[in-house]
Amino acid sequence: MKGYKKYFGKKILWFLITLVFAVILNFVLPRLMPSDPVSAITGKLAAGMSDAAAVREIYEHYQEEFGTNKPMIVQFGIFVKNMLRGNFGKSFSQYPREVSDILATSVGWTVALQLPAIVVGWLIGNILGAMAAYLRKGFDKVLLPVSIFFGNIPAFAMAVILLVVFGVELKIAPLAGGYAADMIPNLSWPFIKSVISHYQLPFWSIVLISIGGQAIGMRSMSIYELNADYVKYSRFLGIKDSKIVGYVFRNAMLPQITGLALSLGTMMGGALVAEKIFSYPGLGSTMYKAVLASDYPLISACTLIITIMVLLANFILDIVYGFIDPRVKAAQLD
Amino acid sequence: MKKMSKILALLLTLAMVCGMFAACGGSSAPAATEAPKATEAQAAAPAATEAPAEPAPADDNTLPRNETLYFAGQQWGPVNSWNIVGTNQNNSMAIAGNAGGYRSLMFETLFMFDFMSGEKKGLLADSYEWNDDLTEMTVTLKDAAKWSDGTPVTAADVAATWEVALLTNNGTGGSYKAYVDTVEATGDKTLVIKSKLNDAGKPVNPLKVEDFLTGTPIAQAAWIKTLRERCNDDPTAILNDKGEDVVWSGPYTKYFADEQKVVLVRDDNYWGQDASMWGKLPVPKYIAHNIYADNAAGELALKAGEVDVCQQFIGNIQNLWLEDDLPISTFYDEAPYGVCLTMPTAWYNMNIPVVKDNVALRKAIAMATDYEAIIANAMTNQSPTFAEVPRSLMNPTAGEQALYDHEAVKDLQWAGNDIEGANKLLDEAGLLDTDGDGWREYNGEKISLNAVCPNGWSDWQAAMQIVAAAGDKIGISIEPEYPEWDIMQTRFTDPSQTDYAIFMWSPDAASPSMPWGRCNQFLSSEFVGLQNNWSGNWGQYVNEEADKILKEIPLTTDEAKKVELYTELVKIYLTDVPSFSLMYRPNLFHAVNESVWTNFPSADDGRNIPPADCTDGYGIRALYELELVG
Repeated sequence: MKGYKKYFGKKILWFLITLVFAVILNFVLPRLMPSDPVSAITGKLAAGMSDAAAVREIYEHYQEEFGTNKPMIVQFGIFVKNMLRGNFGKSFSQYPREVSDILATSVGWTVALQLPAIVVGWLIGNILGAMAAYLRKGFDKVLLPVSIFFGNIPAFAMAVILLVVFGVELKIAPLAGGYAADMIPNLSWPFIKSVISHYQLPFWSIVLISIGGQAIGMRSMSIYELNADYVKYSRFLGIKDSKIVGYVFRNAMLPQITGLALSLGTMMGGALVAEKIFSYPGLGSTMYKAVLASDYPLISACTLIITIMVLLANFILDIVYGFIDPRVKAAQLD
Repeated sequence: MKKMSKILALLLTLAMVCGMFAACGGSSAPAATEAPKATEAQAAAPAATEAPAEPAPADDNTLPRNETLYFAGQQWGPVNSWNIVGTNQNNSMAIAGNAGGYRSLMFETLFMFDFMSGEKKGLLADSYEWNDDLTEMTVTLKDAAKWSDGTPVTAADVAATWEVALLTNNGTGGSYKAYVDTVEATGDKTLVIKSKLNDAGKPVNPLKVEDFLTGTPIAQAAWIKTLRERCNDDPTAILNDKGEDVVWSGPYTKYFADEQKVVLVRDDNYWGQDASMWGKLPVPKYIAHNIYADNAAGELALKAGEVDVCQQFIGNIQNLWLEDDLPISTFYDEAPYGVCLTMPTAWYNMNIPVVKDNVALRKAIAMATDYEAIIANAMTNQSPTFAEVPRSLMNPTAGEQALYDHEAVKDLQWAGNDIEGANKLLDEAGLLDTDGDGWREYNGEKISLNAVCPNGWSDWQAAMQIVAAAGDKIGISIEPEYPEWDIMQTRFTDPSQTDYAIFMWSPDAASPSMPWGRCNQFLSSEFVGLQNNWSGNWGQYVNEEADKILKEIPLTTDEAKKVELYTELVKIYLTDVPSFSLMYRPNLFHAVNESVWTNFPSADDGRNIPPADCTDGYGIRALYELELVG
C-alpha cells in the first residue's frame, strides 16, 4: 500500500505543477495575439460617431473596466484571484455578458452532442475492429478499407456531405440549429422530437469518422495480441479459444481505453466543425468566435476547462492503471 | 476462388456503406415526419388570411409561420441585454442603428430618417424648428405617443435620456455631446435642444444636432430613474444593467431569446395605431431572427424559405430568381438591385513616405485600377459603375449628387483601367524603373506596397487583388494581404501604423448630416493622430483648406453656397487622392423571399418606402403593409 501512496502522491504533485503552468499559459497565450479587443468594442459603439474625443473616452472607459491598461502581472493577479472564486469576468465579444453565463448555456449542448458520439463511436469502432481481427477473411477485407475511408474523411467534408445529401437534397434532416427555427424551447414531445432530429447530422458526422479510426486501432492491436507468444503458448496448452480471446481483447483494449479517456477529456473543446457547419450551439463555436474576437476572458475560461478535463482524465487514467496494471505503477516508481 | 472473394469483399463494402447511411437516414425519421407538418402549416396560411381577425397560434411553443417574419443577417450572436441606455448589447433587433436609420421595433426615435428622400419623418415627435442662428431647436412631441405602461411620452423623457447619456457616455452621449449642449423640457410635449457653441459663439455643428433627432432612441424617464437608483448612479453599472424591466414605446417587445434565436412579439396596445401615426398595427405578430453561423447558412435559409428578409451580401443574387426560380426579389429588379449609399474605399497611409510624398503615385494607382472588374466580379454588378456615377465624395443618391457641380470637376475624375495615363503620370513625376527590373523606384528603392482588407470579406478581397493587379501593370509592386478582422481593426485605427500602405474601409452611409459627415471622414484633419480612431481619415491626410471648408458647411444655409463649398471639397479630394473609392455599395442589403409574405417595398411600387430591412428608420413602414401570399 505504501507503494501506491507514493505513486499517488507523485501523480498529484505532477498534476498540480502541470495545472499551474497550464493556468499561466491560458492567461498569457491569448494576450500575445497582435490585436486589441477593447478597440473592437469601441468600434462597435463608435459607429456613426464623428467626435473623436468621445470615442477616445469610450476606449479608456473599457480599458479601465477590463483592466487592460494595467501591467500584465497585475492583470494576472486579478485573473487568478477571480478564477479561484469561479469568476471569469465579462466577455469582450459578448459584452456585458458574464463568461460563466456564456459557458453555462453552451456546455450542455456540447456534452449532449459529444458524449454519446464519442462513446457510440468508440464502442462500435472497437467491436468492429475486434471482429475484423478475429474473423479476418471477408469481414476484415471489407472493414479495413471502409474504416480507412471513413477514418480519413476530414470532419468538415463529412459534415458537408451529410448536410448536402440528407439536408439539402433528400430534405429528411434539418439544415441548421439545435431545434426547429420556429420553436420556443419547452418540455413537450414536438420540441424533443425537433431536438432529436436536429441532433442526427452533427451526431453522425462525428460518429462515422471516429468509428473508422477506432476500428483500425483495435484491429491492429488485436492482431498483434493474437500473434503474441502467450496466445500461441495457450493454444499449445489446449486452452479454450473463447478464453484466449477474452485475454487477447482485454490486453488490446488498454490503449483504446487511454484513447477514450483522452477523447472524453478533450470533449469539452466541443465539436467545432460539426457545430459550425450545422450552426449547432456549443462550446466549440463559442471558443471559435472568442478566438476570432481576441476575447481573452472567454478564451481563457474555455481553454482552462479543456485543460482541467484533460488533466483530470490523465490523472484518473494513471490512478486506474496503477490498479489494473501493476507494471505501470512499477515502471513509474522506478 | 480468389476472384470470388474479391467480389464478395466489394459487395460487403458497399453493403456496409449503404448500411451506415441507412442508419443515419433512419435515425432522421423524426425530421422526415416533421417535414409534412411544415407544409401543413404553410397550407394553413390561406385559411388564416380568410379569418385574419385573431389567428390563434398552434400552441405557445411554435411560432405560426403565417404570423412570423423571419430575418437573417442582423443578429450574429446571443442577445446580451435589453437595456436601451447601455448601447453595446449585441441586441441587433431591438437596440441598433444610428442617425441613418435607427431600428425602431422596440425603442423609438423622435424622427425616422428616409434615406431615399433625405426627409425626417415624425415618430415620437411631430415637428422641429430651428431659430435663425441655428443655436436652438424647438421640438414638438406627438400627443398620441405613449409608453408600454400606458403613460404618455413627454419632453421630460427626452431630457432624462440626454442626462443619462451624458452621465454614462453611452452611444448617444458619445455621438452628440460635442454638438448638443442641453436638452430642456419646456412643456409636456415641447422641448428645446441647444447647440453647443464654439469660441466665436456660433453653433459647432447644427447638422449633427439634426442627427440627434433620428439617431437617439428615447427611454422613459421613470424607468431611467429606477435604473439609476438601482445602480447608485454608477455609469459602468448603468451600462451593464440587463434592463429586463425596460419600458418601451415601439410596436414590438421581447418575447424570447437564447443562443439560437431572438423573437420579438407585437405589442397590440402600441400607441402607433392612432390615426396621427400609422393608423394600424404592423402586420407580423412575431419578428424572429435565428442566429446563423455565417453568411452561407443565412443564405441557405433564405433559399429554403425559412427566412423572409435577408440583410446579407449575396453574390449574383439575380440567379436566385433567374436560374433557381425561387420567389426571391430585391428592391430593384435589375442591377444594382439595392440602393447604394456608401463607398468602400482604399485609403492611402500617409505615414509611409513614398505614399505621402507622391500624389502622382496615389493618383496613378487609382487611375490604373479596373473598377469595372471590381464591380462585375467582386460586387457581381450590385453597384453602379464609375462611368454611370462619376467619382466624387457623394454617394449615388440624387440628393447627394445634386450637391456638387459635375462640370467643374469633370477633368479631375477618372474612370479606371487607364494604364497608359497612369504610366505617363508616373514617368512625368520621375518615378522611374532605373534598374530595369520592371519595378519603379523612389529615392533608389523599389516601391513596394501592400493592399490590405480583412480575411473572409470575399468581395473586398477580390477588390484588393484587382488593385494589386493594377500595380503590376504600372510597375508598382502591390501585395494583397488579408489579416483577421480583429487584428486589422487594431492596426488601422492606430494613427502611427506603418504596416498597411493601402487598406480598405468604408465611410458612413446616409444620415441627416450627410454628405458632410462622409466628407469629414475623407478629409478632416481633426482625426489625425488620434489613438483608436474609429471616426475617420484613417490615412492621416492633412489639408488646411479642406478643414476650413468642412467647418463652414454645417453653418451654411444658402443652397448655392453649399454646392460651391462641396464642389471645392470634391476638387481637393480628386486632386490630392488621399483615398479612392472602389465601388458603391448598399448600406443594407434587402433580399426578400416571398413564399409566405409579400408586398415588400420595391422601387417601382409608388409607395416610396426605403429598402431598410423593413426595420430601420422610415423603412419600418414596410411592416404595416405586408401581406400574406395568397
